[in-house]
Amino acid sequence: MTTKTLFIGMDGCTFTVLNEMTRDLPGEGITMPFLSGLMAKGSRANLRSTPNPLTPPAWTSIMTGRGPGQHGVFDFIRAEDKGGEVYWTLYDSRDVDSEMIWSIASRQGKSIAALNFPLTAPPPKHVNGSIVPGFIPAKHLRRNSTPGLFERLKEAIPGFDAKELAWDFDNEKQALEVLNDNDMEQWVRYHLPREEQWFNIAEYILQNDAPDLMAVMFDGTDKIQHQAWQFVDPALVPAERTEFYNRMRAVCREYFANVDRYIEKLVTMAGPECQVFFASDHGFTATVETLRINAFLEDLGYLKWAVNDGSEQAIRREASDFANLDWANTTAYCRTPSSNGIHIRVSTKPGEPGIQQADYIPFRDKLIEDLKTLRNDDGEPVIVDVLKREEWFPGQHMERACDLTLVLRDNGFVSIRNLKPVVVKRPSPAGTHHPDGIFMAYGKGIAANGQVDRLDIRDVCPTLLYSLGLPVPSDFEGKAAEPFFTANWLAEHPVKIGKPTIGAGEKAKAEDMDEEEKRQIIEQLQMLGYME
Amino acid sequence: MSDTHDNYVKQLIVLLEDFTQDWDHEFEGRMDPNTRLLGDLGFESIDIIQLVVAIEEDISKKKVPFEKLLMKDGRYVDDLSIGQIADFLVGFV
Repeated sequence: MTTKTLFIGMDGCTFTVLNEMTRDLPGEGITMPFLSGLMAKGSRANLRSTPNPLTPPAWTSIMTGRGPGQHGVFDFIRAEDKGGEVYWTLYDSRDVDSEMIWSIASRQGKSIAALNFPLTAPPPKHVNGSIVPGFIPAKHLRRNSTPGLFERLKEAIPGFDAKELAWDFDNEKQALEVLNDNDMEQWVRYHLPREEQWFNIAEYILQNDAPDLMAVMFDGTDKIQHQAWQFVDPALVPAERTEFYNRMRAVCREYFANVDRYIEKLVTMAGPECQVFFASDHGFTATVETLRINAFLEDLGYLKWAVNDGSEQAIRREASDFANLDWANTTAYCRTPSSNGIHIRVSTKPGEPGIQQADYIPFRDKLIEDLKTLRNDDGEPVIVDVLKREEWFPGQHMERACDLTLVLRDNGFVSIRNLKPVVVKRPSPAGTHHPDGIFMAYGKGIAANGQVDRLDIRDVCPTLLYSLGLPVPSDFEGKAAEPFFTANWLAEHPVKIGKPTIGAGEKAKAEDMDEEEKRQIIEQLQMLGYME
Repeated sequence: MSDTHDNYVKQLIVLLEDFTQDWDHEFEGRMDPNTRLLGDLGFESIDIIQLVVAIEEDISKKKVPFEKLLMKDGRYVDDLSIGQIADFLVGFV
């Protein structure tokens, strides 16, 4: 068996950084020489992410070829208000309401390996191959991997260490906190052995199983850029580099140089017949200010904070960064910073708080108008676009989406803290998600076209299926990235549209019958402090 | 206690023995209906989320409204025993 398609995911990777790491810089040289060579011989495009460029919905779109309105994953956390307290769970693979590539390929006779992808735990059933999920704590990695695989890896790979490999919730929280210099350096260093562990697994699986589709995701890119953006963004290089700047720059480059080594080894092992693809779930850029959205909604008269009565419950809620609101007097609010969205409270029965259904459209239009009035101290508009869910999240899960999704001028994530002023400048620029990630291809049948027109995140899955020699399901929203391939390859291997995926939308139908669940969705509130 | 309850206790013990086999907790002896998740097995909140998934996958074979067990009077319960989870499953599965 030989691997036909190698897919390397790089969470949050952007050409802003990648172009720097792959060219000869004075005093630094080329940090990623192997990737530089691949890029010269292949094709690449900016990849437009999901409307809210966020890890769970975006990677799920990469794995399903469909948008969040169809696959139903919108955020990290699902939380519900239960009589003034938060009940929260995490989205998992059972919430994905569209067939994933792992299953689509498996049922057509292909073998797969999926390493470190979010939303793959518990491992999807009926998969021919190996899954080790990402974003799962070490204690739960064994049970959430393909049965027997964890034990096999533990025995076969020298230095295998689940604690070093897996997601550590206490550590991950730091990604979005303001760290001192020492902690920031440690934060970047913490990801070096983690990625090495994932590479070791990928190398072992590729060597021993050679699955038709070999997929591994490196997520340190995102984590490091959140904290250390100022050390990798070429636009933020200081006139005079301090000793700390040089140290941070060096450890960031060490990370990217390691990734280059992993890529070289995997691509070489996969051999000259293999097609290699790289993609990220979103890009990165600098955020320079913080918008406290719920505080702004309070100023506009849409939201009222609950009185903190000093009770244990109220104190816990304040500490959890959960919006403690006066529900009888709140008509619009933001649930989680990562959602960057606003929910409108609609009354579903007489006496229930919220606006009347008949008033929804005029209420929402007025809210959009109000949101766009916000200016920062320099007079610049803070909210540059407001997306309506029926236009941006069409599909059976549209009602799970925020009524409105905000696009901020600096692409930042909002804060939901009860603090003033509403807009505050950050002490220094921080990393945040940009809607344009990367998509690249190299190998047999891939054209040396360099940069081509921007592609859509839903195009990744059909492109990988096409590379495997499989038809593109007729119900996909994306299409195969034909500009990546040579004319000869396309002539010899025309893109075929095949039968629709299996099982898509079944969860939505089940939910339609569950009134309790419906009520919970309407009432759900989310916590997770994202930046402040 | 009913046969159903006892059966759930047995299934939960099998599940929890597997679930915690490579943890660093200090629990010794055999699990029984009085064994507590936090007090005895060293659970943290993320472990409870994972246990809910495991119960739904291995025992109930469907999603179960666990918030009714985990929250009482608007706040989280302090701990749960295997027997309490079995009682809950009798009522909801």
